[in-house]
Amino acid sequence: MSKVIIIGAGPAGLSAAITIAENGLEVLVLDEYMIAGGRLLGQLYEEPNGNWWNGIKESKQLYEKALDLGVKIQLHTAVSNLEKIDSSWVIYTATETYYTSHLLLATGATEAPLPIPGWTLPGVMSVGAAQVMTNVHRVKPGNRGVIIGVNVLSSAIAMELQLAGVQVACITLPKMSLVTKESGNPMNVMNSLLHVSHMAPSAFVKFGSKLMKIEFMKKMGITFFPKNGVKMWDIPIMLRKAVIEIYGDNEVEGVTMATISPTGEVIPGTEEKVQADFVCIAGGLYPLAELAAVAGCPFYHIEELGGYVPLHNERMETALEGLYVAGNITGIEGAKVAASQGVAAGLSIVHNNGTSNQEQNIKKAIQDIEHTRDNAFIQFHPAVKEGKQKLQHYWEEHLNTVKDMVGN
Amino acid sequence: MIICRCEEVTYKQLTETAEKYKCASRELKLRTRAGMGYCGGRTCRTMVDNIAHSFNGNERDCAQLTLKYQPPIRPISFGDLGDVKK
Repeated sequence: MSKVIIIGAGPAGLSAAITIAENGLEVLVLDEYMIAGGRLLGQLYEEPNGNWWNGIKESKQLYEKALDLGVKIQLHTAVSNLEKIDSSWVIYTATETYYTSHLLLATGATEAPLPIPGWTLPGVMSVGAAQVMTNVHRVKPGNRGVIIGVNVLSSAIAMELQLAGVQVACITLPKMSLVTKESGNPMNVMNSLLHVSHMAPSAFVKFGSKLMKIEFMKKMGITFFPKNGVKMWDIPIMLRKAVIEIYGDNEVEGVTMATISPTGEVIPGTEEKVQADFVCIAGGLYPLAELAAVAGCPFYHIEELGGYVPLHNERMETALEGLYVAGNITGIEGAKVAASQGVAAGLSIVHNNGTSNQEQNIKKAIQDIEHTRDNAFIQFHPAVKEGKQKLQHYWEEHLNTVKDMVGN
Repeated sequence: MIICRCEEVTYKQLTETAEKYKCASRELKLRTRAGMGYCGGRTCRTMVDNIAHSFNGNERDCAQLTLKYQPPIRPISFGDLGDVKK
């Protein structure tokens, strides 16, 4: 009963587990995957200072450090339900039921799909699946692929695939529909990419990024964007072509592409076929907050954070007593931010449990999150900070409502 | 084009229903069965939400407007659910 339970063994969950164990509390971490590390496992890229960020190595270090501190980590264990009975949280897995008074949800993020005709064919997968196959399981998803969806995640994974000797024919847009309004509109995509221009290794993202901040230049930029794309790590990135269909008899054989207008309309007669034996769909990440929803947390839709996020404060406490959140469940950001949030959540738990006063450390941990965010190499949304401010505002509103209710 | 794989609901069915009833995503789900299959809507829920929001004109603000999450949120066998001893 005194044990703290953490759901999710990614950078946030493991960092929290380490922090809590260092302060003398017992911790149990549950994760549905067979390897600890979460999304961190797939990451592999070169930082501006020339160091390689190897997610597998980082995961292993966190995992081993946690084990050394006596943290119990149970992999291959999916949590199917959650409820509060009296003052304790009850966590249901297929075979066991766990009880705790302090529960941290560090469930991370999941990928949004982009529907395209033919997307149910074998050989179509999410870009994250291709990443895990390649980097974690060391299995090539195919020999030559097309990536649909131009964003930070897909371009990073395209480079990883190429490092593994998998050819990426191109990264391109999905045909516009009600579901792909944002990811299928060249202007929109261009806009979101301009904000990643600081992640320098590619000529593409450097490509006149300053000029492009002017609205008129953006229009010109997309109008004159080369039809055959701009190459990044030798992979053509196409903002003026979209996949209108994935074809193949029993599996992916290729995609049909067409030229699109700057606003995303398909120009008839421009269709062409591109051969491929696998297709990746990159619809971007959104917080995986099912358990917070089942628990009854209030939610807010904050575009800058990637979707619906459970209401929480800077100390990573939710509106429900004894329930905490950390990592991508609170908004889509990099692994280092997730880890720093894990530390803050861990300290809050130690403090609230009455084990020791952590007020000073919590303050410092909150500052650390800010600092890590400011120095993040990859930013998934250019306005994450504004998103966090909105959330803080909703939290204050919530506190006032609670006060009013108590006052009455 | 299939949107909900489990219940084989197409984009056309969803957009036509959403346009006709201008309903919330929950009603769209109940009318079409999109999101009611064995995956529990884990694949199509964002798309069903998006299609409903495109027609009902609601501000995406509060959670009430999206599809609900119901336990079990991961598949679980009847044996485990009923605690059948092997």
